[in-house]
Amino acid sequence: MTAAQFAALSPLVVLAIAAVAAMMLVPLARIEAAQAAAGAGLALAAGLVLLRVGAPAAPLGALFTDDGLARFGIAYACLASLGALIFLRTGVPAKEAPALLVLVALGAATLAGAGHAATLFLGIEIVSLSLIALFAFRLSRQGLEAAYKFLVMSGLASSALLLGVALIYAETGALDFVGWTGHGALAALGTALLLAGLAFKFSLAPFHMWTPDAFEASPASAAALAGVVSKAAVAIVLLRLFLTAHLPEPVWSSGLAALGAASVLVGNLLALRQPQLPRMLGYSTIAHSGYIALILASGAPRAAEAVLFYLGVYAPAMLGALCVSAALGRAPTLYDLHGLIKRRPLEAIALSLSLLSLAGLPAAGGFIGKLYLLHVLVDRGLWLLLAIVVAGASLGFFYYARFFTAPFLGQSHDEAEPLPRVDQGLLALCVILIVLFGVAPVVLIDVVRLALP
Amino acid sequence: MALIALILLPAVGGLIAFFIAGQGERERWVAIATFALMLVLLVAIVAGAPEGRWYAQVSYPWVPSFGISLDFAMDGLSASLIAISAGLGIISVMASWSEIRTQSGLFHASLCWTVAATIGVFLSFDLLIFAFFWEAMLVPAFTLIAVWGHGDREGAALKFLIFNAVAGFGLLAAAFALASMADHMTFNAFELAEMKLSTSVQVWMLLGFSLAFLVKLSVPPFHAWLPEAHTLAPTAGSILLAGVLLKTGAYGLFRFAPMLFPQGLAAVSPYGIALGAAGALYGGLVACGQNDAKRLVAYTSIAHMSIVLMGIAAGVHYALAGAAVEMIAHSFSASALFLLIGALYERTHTRDLRQLGGLQQIAPRFAAAFALFCSALLALPGTANFVGEALVVVGIFQVNWVFALLALSTLIVSVIYATRLLKGLVFGQPRPNAPLADLNWREYWPVLVMSLATLVIGLYPQSLLALLEPAIKAALVLPLP
Repeated sequence: MTAAQFAALSPLVVLAIAAVAAMMLVPLARIEAAQAAAGAGLALAAGLVLLRVGAPAAPLGALFTDDGLARFGIAYACLASLGALIFLRTGVPAKEAPALLVLVALGAATLAGAGHAATLFLGIEIVSLSLIALFAFRLSRQGLEAAYKFLVMSGLASSALLLGVALIYAETGALDFVGWTGHGALAALGTALLLAGLAFKFSLAPFHMWTPDAFEASPASAAALAGVVSKAAVAIVLLRLFLTAHLPEPVWSSGLAALGAASVLVGNLLALRQPQLPRMLGYSTIAHSGYIALILASGAPRAAEAVLFYLGVYAPAMLGALCVSAALGRAPTLYDLHGLIKRRPLEAIALSLSLLSLAGLPAAGGFIGKLYLLHVLVDRGLWLLLAIVVAGASLGFFYYARFFTAPFLGQSHDEAEPLPRVDQGLLALCVILIVLFGVAPVVLIDVVRLALP
Repeated sequence: MALIALILLPAVGGLIAFFIAGQGERERWVAIATFALMLVLLVAIVAGAPEGRWYAQVSYPWVPSFGISLDFAMDGLSASLIAISAGLGIISVMASWSEIRTQSGLFHASLCWTVAATIGVFLSFDLLIFAFFWEAMLVPAFTLIAVWGHGDREGAALKFLIFNAVAGFGLLAAAFALASMADHMTFNAFELAEMKLSTSVQVWMLLGFSLAFLVKLSVPPFHAWLPEAHTLAPTAGSILLAGVLLKTGAYGLFRFAPMLFPQGLAAVSPYGIALGAAGALYGGLVACGQNDAKRLVAYTSIAHMSIVLMGIAAGVHYALAGAAVEMIAHSFSASALFLLIGALYERTHTRDLRQLGGLQQIAPRFAAAFALFCSALLALPGTANFVGEALVVVGIFQVNWVFALLALSTLIVSVIYATRLLKGLVFGQPRPNAPLADLNWREYWPVLVMSLATLVIGLYPQSLLALLEPAIKAALVLPLP
């Protein structure tokens, strides 16, 4: 193994070591030690990736790709997981949570570099198995239900994915994405099954059922891992397939378009009357998956840039909203948000800005993400999809606005203790990033450009 | 650079007001100082302006890969609307001095940010930057209504936000479609105006833009958000909504429709005039039936904005000049009436015309102010509104006398609702039969300034018309018949 190869794989190695270390510390030390080990591992892995920005790609064989996209994905997974780790409450009853969290990051990092069916499957399974355990962490009825739902459906989705890969292999004789250049019936069926399997992990309708339950019942950090880290990893897999594989075009784009359109409508419609913040965010994340799927379905020249930009503005918004949700206890409702500005100004501002960004209004980063989405759809003249996006986003204004105003209305209901400093730091960072991406999007566009060939 | 400062000033002022709010009235003074500084800066820019249409121009790249740049430019039309925005900003702060007692920091920040975003709209010549500010103004204005409004304020605020944000998609989609037709990716309106598009394409693009503009202008049938938003908003919110936000719709239509789609606008001109005439009649007739004074004024806004639409759609010189003057005149008359009704409501806790009356006996300043602005509402000669509406009607006569008769009939309706408002508030038995404090200085001075503006423009419109002339010339699409 050359030094370049080692350097390329070092983030994964560090993450694996951190996961093992966090697990080994469980019987030996307090939970803070496990958290520190996990945090150090994630930060180190992110640092190692960032050091290699612009370096030439190391030859790693077929299984793992080392390119800008993979580096973007690994850094994204590490940083977003680090954010989720911060609001992984110490109150969560088991000490294994940090280790599981690092495992999700490891799975997501594997997916980011996956250019081969084997790596793809490996990454998907690492992420899913760790998420199942995290969803069930509260050992409540709802938590177990969410985890069980996810377990059963995840098994089903993995089988579909495997069968899809097998069918594509039968026609093309290749397992790496580059070799997937089929046009026959087998490849078409395989593509459909592959999309179905990925759509489950990406929480696209009609494979979305697990998402709201998981968001409501599990700790907010687990929701962040499912809704940001693993979602972005699957988006990068889809993007890589879009960039390198030549799967049967009609199945690929119309499949993605149908899934995306369904998610935009279903996610936004079901979010409309949700009084619970995490459940609303669960539906909202379905809608956002739909927007990303539609960008990919458009096949426009700027689609890749648009997807990565969208992921970039999505992370601080969703993490900020979930962090506030975690700070307010289990499944806060609209009523619990009342008067938030008085007792917890930072949380109120962070929540409002996050929702503004998710709604796609200026001066938050989400607005520029929405511009990208509209641009690729108009560019390809996809007027029907545009109409669906407009309908979905219009519904979105309604429920985001309800949660946006709640912190400024009414009287506060409880005297909660202030958030720890780290959480406050995370919220402040989210606020800064949301506004920065909204006012000076060039910053993020330059980063995205580095990730794309 | 000065133009960017003009936008940044209220944006930063809002932040300061938000963070220093607490005991005392600091945030109010910060907001007033911000708006006053804006006026000073504006005067400095206009005084130091070179010869020609543009007082100042600036261009910075924002997202070069998309061809989006911060293209700001200011001519007489933008300058007058900016002056009104800043002036009404000061007036809003004064009008809400005793009304707003909770969350005062956020309130004044929202005022400043609303004004900042509208200034951005009045200055932008890059369509995406225009859209950015267009949507950005919705959020603070939504907050103003949702947090400090009356009654079902959340519902009213949601309606306002959803109507306008959804309509914004029309603007965005049309802007992207327009840019994709250019030979290189650009959103600069001057460059896009150079393109030779077929009339049918222009009509489609114009419809996309108009969706956003007509909803903001609240021309029926796009008006459903306005009555509630205006009625339930706090006084300052109503002042800004009527005086500034509605004007962004009129401004967008005035500026970009003739500039980007001259043939398209000429093709739909009769429909535009008809829509405006119908809207003016509808708004006026519904206003006649209102008992809530604030709601009545809200419906008159619909009628007056429809007249502005008629003027722009007619596309001849007189009509355009009338539309431009009417925009400015309406800012004063509607804002002053909202201020007066808000002040009255604070004292009597009712806006019902059946429970009010006789102000001339108990509160003469109130009565005089109401009398003046009700006259402006019915476009009595001598008020600025007369100049605007008369010019629009004259202009439409040059195009089509049937439409002109329709436009004239809307003036008759305006007499009915204006006198009804006047009679209900000023004359008759004093009601409620209790001592009523007359206007205090924070209400008196703004009303005085707006009265003077209305009368000066009404009696000597020439200086304002000269200021607006370059913008009007640029908006001419139809040759005189």
